[in-house]
Amino acid sequence: MTWINRCLPLTALLLAAAPLSSQEVAVRAQLEARGLAPTLIAEVAAIAADATAQGIPTGPLANKAIEGWAKRVPEARIMMAVRQMSAQMIQAQTALRAAGLDGPPGMLIAAAAEALGRGMRPEDVRTLLDAVPAPDQAGDGLRVAAALAAQGLGREQAVAVVVRALRRGEPAARLLDLPSIAQALKAQGLGPAQIGKQMMEGGGMMGSRGQGQGAGGRPPGVPPGRPDNPPGQSKRPSGT
Amino acid sequence: MTDNETFSRDAQQSMDGEPHGSMSDAERMQVDRLLRAIDSYRAAIMPPDAALHDAVLAGIRGRTPARKRPAWHWLFEPRPIRLRPVWVPVIAAAAALLWLGVRPGADIESPLPSEATASVTSSTMFVHFQLTAPDANLVSIAGSFTDWRADTYRLDREDGGIWSITLALPLGEHQYQFVIDGDRWIPDPRAHAQIDDGFGGTNSLVIVGPRGVVQT
Repeated sequence: MTWINRCLPLTALLLAAAPLSSQEVAVRAQLEARGLAPTLIAEVAAIAADATAQGIPTGPLANKAIEGWAKRVPEARIMMAVRQMSAQMIQAQTALRAAGLDGPPGMLIAAAAEALGRGMRPEDVRTLLDAVPAPDQAGDGLRVAAALAAQGLGREQAVAVVVRALRRGEPAARLLDLPSIAQALKAQGLGPAQIGKQMMEGGGMMGSRGQGQGAGGRPPGVPPGRPDNPPGQSKRPSGT
Repeated sequence: MTDNETFSRDAQQSMDGEPHGSMSDAERMQVDRLLRAIDSYRAAIMPPDAALHDAVLAGIRGRTPARKRPAWHWLFEPRPIRLRPVWVPVIAAAAALLWLGVRPGADIESPLPSEATASVTSSTMFVHFQLTAPDANLVSIAGSFTDWRADTYRLDREDGGIWSITLALPLGEHQYQFVIDGDRWIPDPRAHAQIDDGFGGTNSLVIVGPRGVVQT
């Protein structure tokens, strides 16, 4: 065996390991910049290294550690939350693979992990993946479905609202309007079931009522919700 | 001379150095007395010093000349406009038609702010945050959009102990909390939802869509 032949496997091993170490270095740098304790940095970096090896993103782990540090949470509690998030992302990756995605992107894994952490189920992930035109657009759908569920809609209804919107041809970005629409209907006095029903019918989404692009379809009395409403002023129109 | 003293027209013309007719002796004496008084007063006035004269002129020359206004400045200068009254209702009607034409009934039907009014850029929207905390001395907001730094955005205090701030946030999901007096983290009751933060606390959740954000 020549010298080159002996070096080739070692070179390949080093090249494969290089991205792992660069991820870990990035996490360390991010945590050091925020002044986290060295012991905490080492522990988070170790989890991040494992995560990278398993193909899951490290950004959410570092961000969770920073969040806990900013809130002055004890280190042990921070590590518990970071480990929990890592486990959720592995679960999300498994769910996405089971739904037919061999190499799910990191952002989608993170979105699915957040959704699973808020009570969504792996079958919801599959349902939403089936509804989006492209898998990379599923992230917004997952986050919105999880948000709607957190707003009080039932989990199944929240998923159904998002799937219905997607099948109506709403662009993925428009899904991000759904929580505000739910909030507006809630401010009108509607209960979760009524909100879900209205949203299933396309209430508030563009194109509803057959009015065309951007025409909207505000149910009667839904407040405008402009961000500049004066403090203390109800957004509910008087008399409704 | 007192207010009671009167002059004839000839006396006044004489005082002014103009041709005049005859005057009485008393008037002539009075005019002569006044002219002497004027002469003595003039003589008492010190002529200005030449140095003062030079200093004033030097000061005037030393002043920075006024900058020449740019050509477009005339647009902003107030100026009188002459307008026949009949055009006032015509212009008002045209403005109303233009306004309605630019904003077709979409906004009337929309539960959310129009993109034109609420959008900063195509991927960023204004979001108004508000908290009632009458006892607070300082309220800030920390979240995923500040990398959880609590010293990035401080809310402004308004009447009634209301604190508020408007931020331009990217489209998407944002988690946050208010921080009172630097150490008390509390969720926003007006947010879209409240979620477990993983540390035993609660994060507020807002999802910014392309048509803005509705909060309670």
